[in-house]
Amino acid sequence: MSARKLVAVAGALTVAVSLAACGGGSSGGGGGGHAGQTLQVYLSRQASYPNEQQQWMQHVKDEFTKKTGASVEFETYSSATEEQQKIQTSVVSGQGPDIYEIGTTFTPTAYSSGAFLKLGDEQWNAVGGRDRFVPSTLAMSGPDEADQIAVPFSSLPFVLVYNTQMFTAAGIGGPPSTWDELVADAKKLTHGDTFGLAMDYKDPFSPWKYVWMFAQQYGNPLVQGTTARIDDPTVARAYDAYFGFLTEDRIVNPDAANWASADATANFASGKSAMFAMTSASVIPTLAKSPVANSYAFAPMPTVPPGESALPAGGVPATTIVSGQNLVVASYSTQQDLALQYVELVTSEAEQQHFSEVFGVLPTNAAAADAIASGKAQYAPVLEAGKQAKPTPFTGAWSEIQLGLTNITVQSLAGLSAGSVPPDQVQRQLADLQKTAQAAVDKAAAAR
Amino acid sequence: MSLTSPAERPPTATGPAGDVGGPARVGTRRAGPTRRRQGPLWLMTPGGALLLVVVVVPFVLALWMSVTDLDQYTLRQWAGAPFLGLGNYVEAFTSGPLLHSVWLSVAFSVLTTVLTLPLGIAAAFAAHDRFRGRGLVRSVFLIPYVLPTFVVGTVWRIALGPDGAVNTVLGSVGIDGGNWLIGGRTFWTLVLVDTWAAWPFVYLLCLAGLQSIGREVHEAVAVDGASWWQKTVHIVLPSLRGPLLLAVIIATLHHLNNFTLPFVLFGSPAPDEVNVLPIAIYSTSFQTFRFGLAAAMSVASLVLVLIPLLFYLRAVRLDTGLEKGAQA
Amino acid sequence: MTAAGRRRPAVDATAILPPGLRRGVIVVLVLLVLAPCAYILVASLMPDLEVASGTVVPSSVTLENWVAIWTTVPLAQGLTTSVVVCGVVAVVSALLAVTTAYVLVRFTFVGRVTFLRALVGLQSVPGTLLLLPLFVVYASAPAYLGVTVVGTTWGLMITYLTFALPFATWVMVTYIRGMPVELEEAGLLDGLSRVGVLRRIVLPLSAPGLIVAAIFSFLLGWNDVLFASVLTQPKTRTAAVVLQAFGASQEGGALPLYGQVMSSAVVCAVPVVILYLIFQRYLVGGLTGGLK
Repeated sequence: MSARKLVAVAGALTVAVSLAACGGGSSGGGGGGHAGQTLQVYLSRQASYPNEQQQWMQHVKDEFTKKTGASVEFETYSSATEEQQKIQTSVVSGQGPDIYEIGTTFTPTAYSSGAFLKLGDEQWNAVGGRDRFVPSTLAMSGPDEADQIAVPFSSLPFVLVYNTQMFTAAGIGGPPSTWDELVADAKKLTHGDTFGLAMDYKDPFSPWKYVWMFAQQYGNPLVQGTTARIDDPTVARAYDAYFGFLTEDRIVNPDAANWASADATANFASGKSAMFAMTSASVIPTLAKSPVANSYAFAPMPTVPPGESALPAGGVPATTIVSGQNLVVASYSTQQDLALQYVELVTSEAEQQHFSEVFGVLPTNAAAADAIASGKAQYAPVLEAGKQAKPTPFTGAWSEIQLGLTNITVQSLAGLSAGSVPPDQVQRQLADLQKTAQAAVDKAAAAR
Repeated sequence: MSLTSPAERPPTATGPAGDVGGPARVGTRRAGPTRRRQGPLWLMTPGGALLLVVVVVPFVLALWMSVTDLDQYTLRQWAGAPFLGLGNYVEAFTSGPLLHSVWLSVAFSVLTTVLTLPLGIAAAFAAHDRFRGRGLVRSVFLIPYVLPTFVVGTVWRIALGPDGAVNTVLGSVGIDGGNWLIGGRTFWTLVLVDTWAAWPFVYLLCLAGLQSIGREVHEAVAVDGASWWQKTVHIVLPSLRGPLLLAVIIATLHHLNNFTLPFVLFGSPAPDEVNVLPIAIYSTSFQTFRFGLAAAMSVASLVLVLIPLLFYLRAVRLDTGLEKGAQA
Repeated sequence: MTAAGRRRPAVDATAILPPGLRRGVIVVLVLLVLAPCAYILVASLMPDLEVASGTVVPSSVTLENWVAIWTTVPLAQGLTTSVVVCGVVAVVSALLAVTTAYVLVRFTFVGRVTFLRALVGLQSVPGTLLLLPLFVVYASAPAYLGVTVVGTTWGLMITYLTFALPFATWVMVTYIRGMPVELEEAGLLDGLSRVGVLRRIVLPLSAPGLIVAAIFSFLLGWNDVLFASVLTQPKTRTAAVVLQAFGASQEGGALPLYGQVMSSAVVCAVPVVILYLIFQRYLVGGLTGGLK
């Protein structure tokens, strides 16, 4: 009891010192220093684990009250729409939740709004220090180390999942290391109504990640400094390969033009596809209940782009974006010290490990990540992919670029379903997107 | 504009009028044969005040936002966002999807309204007649309308998938359903699904209109021995003119502003064939965070819609009610 | 067919369609409505994978989805909120509409026609345009008026009430315009005030119109997701928002709980259908009142 109280006092002191400039309302008082205060936390709904999330919230509430004396009120969102509207209205009116959980790719936009608390050394120390986190997860905290707003909360790297049984039956030793190898393997695995690769062309979030990945591997970061490089031939080549899986290589079920991520997962789960790329550990509960429960494994996606036998000069071996959820504190919040204490709590080793075990995501806390890795062999390749994760360009223009890249896929779905996507159509759309992207990048540069 | 004497105020006023009421404006317009010039105008204040606070003030704010460069960078100090004048409007018309979306939206709304009209009228006629189980049928007719749009969208999206229930049923009679949710057919998918969901609106308005046709009118027609078709064309439909015109206007506008259905069916970014206005505006606002531009697109489309609407209102003289008063 | 309508005028003079045609119309329309509804019902009894794969006739039937929804989503609480909010909105908007419409129809004043047209014009203002500024107005209420609006049930009521008002008013305008003025004039001669006329004569006579206005106002709130999702807090969520959130969260999930989406859809439709069953006899009541 006294030890815990000591820790709490120490924590409160740290925060009080670090936030002295803000003139925080807390004045000593030990663990109960924030009694009567309520922290509002806005976070994403765990669709696959509704009951577990309720229990988790209760657990965190109890822990937080024990630690600070204050209580926590949770509010969840279940769609990007809901999240955007909430953030927008809160930012405009200067009232709303104290803490938001936001996706890594949305963090640049959040950063550019200036509506969230900048994290200096004091704030980082208040949440346990930068060293506490897996280094790659910090890449989406801000444009550079001096300007950060986001604390990594959960990590969900994208990986390849493959059917071990089908691989063995086809005499394939292990997961492919180049995309050409993947296509060759998939061709061996395609027969009748079984296909080598499941794709989610109609997913609202997935398509741009392929284009980004291939472009990176070809050596194009899409945004370089203040230049958008969408009209670079590597982007067109990325789309070619991406659509080609279905139209040229014929390793993808033609129905995939209608599939979102969940549909592709279901297809893989029913044993009708041997591989599914750009997926994550979040499919484990589904696969565990499926016919392939005992015959699947994860692997990082190949790092050598389609049509190449080795990484091209200047190419980056990127497979997964730095993916997951960050926590940001609203700058209008009147209890930022308390908010940082919450962040400290939920990114601590114990809480991170607990969260990861319950929801199947990976910890961003380095110690917790190591603990998880040693416990479950299944997670090892996923963790490995996460460590190699590469950040998407940290610019306020990114949302627009991401949307534009997805839009090109959306407009190609009909062609995809019919068996061919006219290359000039993609070229034309890329030229248009280059203009909007460059305008957005310029705007972002002007606003900095 | 002059004030009436306080004596005009109803002594038994029970409304919330006590302090706000009193001054009533007197019209100088032509009056119908039965219209009073001095009326208890205070009766309109609660409604008027609500409209002012909840619609007019926000609308003016929206107008302001549409002439500023309100985006992710300026959102926090939205009142100080740089003034752009008509810049957003110019951008919307010259480089955005606005005109294409307006055209799509109008085509979609008008088509859907045209399709729902005969369904709604037929349903109202059928449900108006007395028969056993009428209450049940009336309730059944209302079901598509009471299902939240979101649910309608979700259910149809699941059913219209490539392996969904619709294609299963079509397949069982030898038709290859194909793609409903991607490609060129999406526009018609949207029209059909919205028609399914929206026809009870016409039905309900029409049914209420039928109630106001007096029994003696029906009896007189029966004595004349007119056929049901003659009765429909010469007696019933003309007396439904008001409700039907109202239904047409309101239904068209509702389709025009229907965001949920296309969003749930096709998502955003949507296929170009169904990139209707609400979707295009949503995308500009919440996916690329150009709030000022999105507001300008909304206002511009509003104007594009309002102009024909006002001409229509004048043409059908729905709003004055003068000719109706003269007939009565 | 025409003969049938003429044969028994004494039995049902108000009938419009000949019985044969009427039956045909009813059968077609009921099928049109019920076929998808039946699918929803059946799908709500199916395992999720079968719904996804387009099964129409399930291989096995389970009540699992129906049991599960009450714990996976706060549906009961959402339904209560929705019924209360929409019920109040329906009653108040119908009453406000009838008074406003009465003034608009029976009196002339400067701006009357403009007001009428504006009411229609307001229908064309997209909700997405108003969302952000409306929130700004509500959010500044604590600063200027000292009351919190955002997150309260009554804030939501006011919003829906206002959005329902233009259409409800138009319904009443159309309705009252068709009513004879003689009775009102008689009432005035009997010493009733204008408000008395409104309460004792106009209100009862316009019952069918009132019911329609109330139903539409109710449904407007019932179906809204856009405003409710921003203006409510977890404790004041309406059923539509709960359902939308539930459905939307399925998108991100690995395997959508289609069966539960279907069963909660049914649950959300049932209260309105019941309400309508209760009130529809009043809708008919306007006719049997034998007026005009």
